Amino acid sequence: MKGVTVTMDEMFDVLIIGSGVVGSAVARELSRYSLKIGVLEKEPDVCCGTSARNSGVLHAGFNNKPGSLMARFCVEGNRGFDEVARELDIPYKRTGKLVVGFTPTDRERLLAMKETGDKNGVPGLEIVDRNRINKLAPAVRGEFALWSPSTAILDPFQYTLGLAENAALNGVRFFFNNEVTGLEFSDGIYHAKTTKATYRSRWVVNCAGLGSAKISAMLGMGEYTIHPCRGEYFVLDPKIGPLLPLPAYPIPNPAEGGLGIHVTPTVDGNVLIGPSSEYIDGDDDYSCTQQAMDLLIKGGSKILPAIKREHFIRNFAGIRPKLTSESEGGFRDFVIERRPEAPHAVNLVGIESPGLTAALPIAGEVIRLMQQVETFSPNHGFNPVRKGITPFRNKTPEQQAELIKENPDYGEIVCRCETITKAEVLAAIRNPLGVDTVTGIKYRCRTMMGRCQGGYCQTRVAELIMQESHKTPEEVLYSREGSYQFTGTVR
Amino acid sequence: MLREFTCICCPNGCTMEAVVEDGVLTKIAGNLCKRGRTYVEQELIAPTRTISTSVRVDDGELPLVSVRLTAPIPRERIFDAMAEIRKQRLTAPVVTGQVIIKDVLGMQSDVIATKTVRKAEP
Amino acid sequence: MEMIRKRVVIIGGGPGGLAAACELHRKGIRDILVLEREHQLGGILRQCIHDGFGLTRFGQTLSGPEYADRFIDEVKKLGIECITDTTVIDITPDRVITSASASGLLQISADAIVLTMGCRERTRGALSIPGNRPAGVYTAGVAQAYINLKNIMVGRKAVILGSGDIGMIMARRLTLEGVKVVAVFEIMPYPSGLPRNVEQCLNDYGIPLYLSHTVTSINGKSRLESVTVSEVDASLKPIPGTEKEYECDTLILSVGLIPENELSLKAGIELDPRTRGPVVDEDYQTTTPGIFAAGNVLHVHDLVDFVSLEAENLARAVVAYLDGSLPSCGITIETDSSIGYTVPQHISGEKDITLSLRVRRPMKPCTLELWQDSKLLATKTLRKAIPAEMEQITLPVGQLVNTNSVKVVARNA
Repeated sequence: MKGVTVTMDEMFDVLIIGSGVVGSAVARELSRYSLKIGVLEKEPDVCCGTSARNSGVLHAGFNNKPGSLMARFCVEGNRGFDEVARELDIPYKRTGKLVVGFTPTDRERLLAMKETGDKNGVPGLEIVDRNRINKLAPAVRGEFALWSPSTAILDPFQYTLGLAENAALNGVRFFFNNEVTGLEFSDGIYHAKTTKATYRSRWVVNCAGLGSAKISAMLGMGEYTIHPCRGEYFVLDPKIGPLLPLPAYPIPNPAEGGLGIHVTPTVDGNVLIGPSSEYIDGDDDYSCTQQAMDLLIKGGSKILPAIKREHFIRNFAGIRPKLTSESEGGFRDFVIERRPEAPHAVNLVGIESPGLTAALPIAGEVIRLMQQVETFSPNHGFNPVRKGITPFRNKTPEQQAELIKENPDYGEIVCRCETITKAEVLAAIRNPLGVDTVTGIKYRCRTMMGRCQGGYCQTRVAELIMQESHKTPEEVLYSREGSYQFTGTVR
Repeated sequence: MLREFTCICCPNGCTMEAVVEDGVLTKIAGNLCKRGRTYVEQELIAPTRTISTSVRVDDGELPLVSVRLTAPIPRERIFDAMAEIRKQRLTAPVVTGQVIIKDVLGMQSDVIATKTVRKAEP
Repeated sequence: MEMIRKRVVIIGGGPGGLAAACELHRKGIRDILVLEREHQLGGILRQCIHDGFGLTRFGQTLSGPEYADRFIDEVKKLGIECITDTTVIDITPDRVITSASASGLLQISADAIVLTMGCRERTRGALSIPGNRPAGVYTAGVAQAYINLKNIMVGRKAVILGSGDIGMIMARRLTLEGVKVVAVFEIMPYPSGLPRNVEQCLNDYGIPLYLSHTVTSINGKSRLESVTVSEVDASLKPIPGTEKEYECDTLILSVGLIPENELSLKAGIELDPRTRGPVVDEDYQTTTPGIFAAGNVLHVHDLVDFVSLEAENLARAVVAYLDGSLPSCGITIETDSSIGYTVPQHISGEKDITLSLRVRRPMKPCTLELWQDSKLLATKTLRKAIPAEMEQITLPVGQLVNTNSVKVVARNA
């Protein structure tokens, strides 16, 4: 970690626990006020858990029970996203989405979903026939479908990063590798003990995702249990990307507590298949299993038969922080509360799908609950605009020539699969949050994400990390603490 | 006694069946050329091998120069030779063919550079 | 943007590209440009510091850098123009190349383009090995680059998955540098690299090779802690109950190479799913006229000598193309299930043609046969044939009875 230190006595107005998409959104929205804000994160970077490991879909809100917080915040989050994406300079695309059906029963269920969506205020839902599917996504199977024009795709890491970097630019401080191990409340002050130090604050916001029940118990609200439910994914080569212009879903099984194995394009042109759904014991077991992988191939091919084994680039797993157990199934609504037993704590538990879409409205709700007891004065210096790394690829040759002219490092292609330049890698290494792990760089600029998975560029990236952050080989970390990449020099 | 050998002299990697009596090769089959026989004879007396590795270079455009032996050495002395090579430290420039260690450990084999490492541009 | 014209542009300054450049020059072509993305010429050979190269091409055994130097010196002596630190980012079907470097974008319109981009390694993702994603999992070539080029050591105790040549060579390289190499596991019932590498890289150092075994789980949340290995059955599926855990901090993958053809696709070139390289005719011309391919971008070779020889043959064909005298190649080479692939895939029937091919599985004494309809055109007897070794057979001109396809088969003798 570069340049992040805290003295024992340092006092914050607000400590946010967790820097997933919700924690980052809360941080960014709170930075509109004149407050001293810190974010405690157990991982070495933002967005290492559930927020990053999902389908990357901005949901429309037709899967959620009318009147629920999930429904309300999902629809609201979707509606406001154009402006947010512009402010944060993040890639996203209003592709729309199809939920495909084959049988008369399927049609009934699609109609029910449409009705739910209409009630929730989802715009433009339609049941469409095969002819329309042919126009929208000819490679997708299905006799008919629910068409949702407002669904979009986004890069969940870039979105979270945009929120966090914008928060940092507006004064919020991030403390990584700081897992909260205890919370004490005395004389109106919270003492948050972490694996690294102790932090003091007047307010605490629990945005700990998979760890939210643990933090909730530390706050004196011990009745919650998180049931971790793992979902595995395959990432496919962009070669198959043109076949899938939009996410295509099956009809969800209501007993399962997920949306079913679907196929979705990413903003970078890859295709994802997933997720599986498996309740597990630990809350950080991100391993992938042969059984789930076999299931994904089967499930994915049902909707997109063109999928072939040679398209697979890699797999990953995410974990849903569910409030419902395996036997209960389905979804339970978000818990967002401020309770008398902890009046200066906002407790968020069970923020699962559609949490990515709903993150900003959730942050708004958190601030509303806080302002019930305290009025915050505005931060007059707040700037909602954050600039991302300007990519070289997908620009016209004229624009590319211009970029190189301004900065010759744009002419050095480091990652050939994704056409990522040295300028972008350097910008990623010099990020405002001070993260310098290999995966941190990888997610920021997409180097090593392509079909060769760093076969060509990773030695160069490692070299640049060492150069820029003055590290020896032993000090280069792949991701979390202890994940050393190298054991030293040869000579 | 019948013994099987895989020749390492060229990429063909001939699998050879050798009849060995009292440590002497009496019959050989499977080799495409005469190097196979020479190889087996040498294996029976004392196997020899060459090695390739690297030596540290200061002030070079690369941190290492690749090196190899000019002649095979007894196989059991490989790690002795490695220890000698590991002690070396050069300063750029280094040129291909440059002798780094003459007659390493008296084994009638030189350690030479197999790459040119120029001085780093300032 | 600047647009220049060139007679021949060669993409990739490794052993294929440099051999093609020299041969083109010797055949009288002067307006040649070699584009190389690295700072130095030589391609992958710069990191292949072991010896064993050059016996076929130069009659002596050299290390990779020395082998490359032979061509680099020749290119310099002939005064062939090479631009390094330059990456080609686009090729159009009408042969306009766009390249990027720190000095800007360059567009080149070429009469002929030679593709010699080499290949890349298959990765863990492509294999979909279950388990965690800790640090310490490297492909063999990446580990080789760290150790031989960057002076960085990747671990202390290694397991190697796959018995490809680079994997075995890295087993030896790591052992020499004091790393404990626990074992090499190969999913097939036979080694996938050359027999001499089993001998001199594994047997010499007492490194066990387990055939019909594969890694079925990668364990460790931060740094790799162990791998789980299982035996596989005849259909390569892991056999439950055979799992065994091996403690290690490093996993080296040597599980195959894939021709690097992203640029070829942009140029509209058809690829052969078997080689994953371009479909070419007997003159190494791809399906896009005026674009030629040789070396590992065309099909993965086991020996660099054959890469250079193939590129030299390609150069002679490019000269004929520039003279406007290449024949059309309407005869397709077909294979049965005994053959993995052939290169070329199409021939004219107007001259002697040497086909390069690989058998699909190891065979003891066997014959390669070329058939047209019911006529046997040529045969070649081999003492053995293994997928790791490329074989060649020549089809003499005048043997063809018609313009139908020709079929290649391998039969046990």
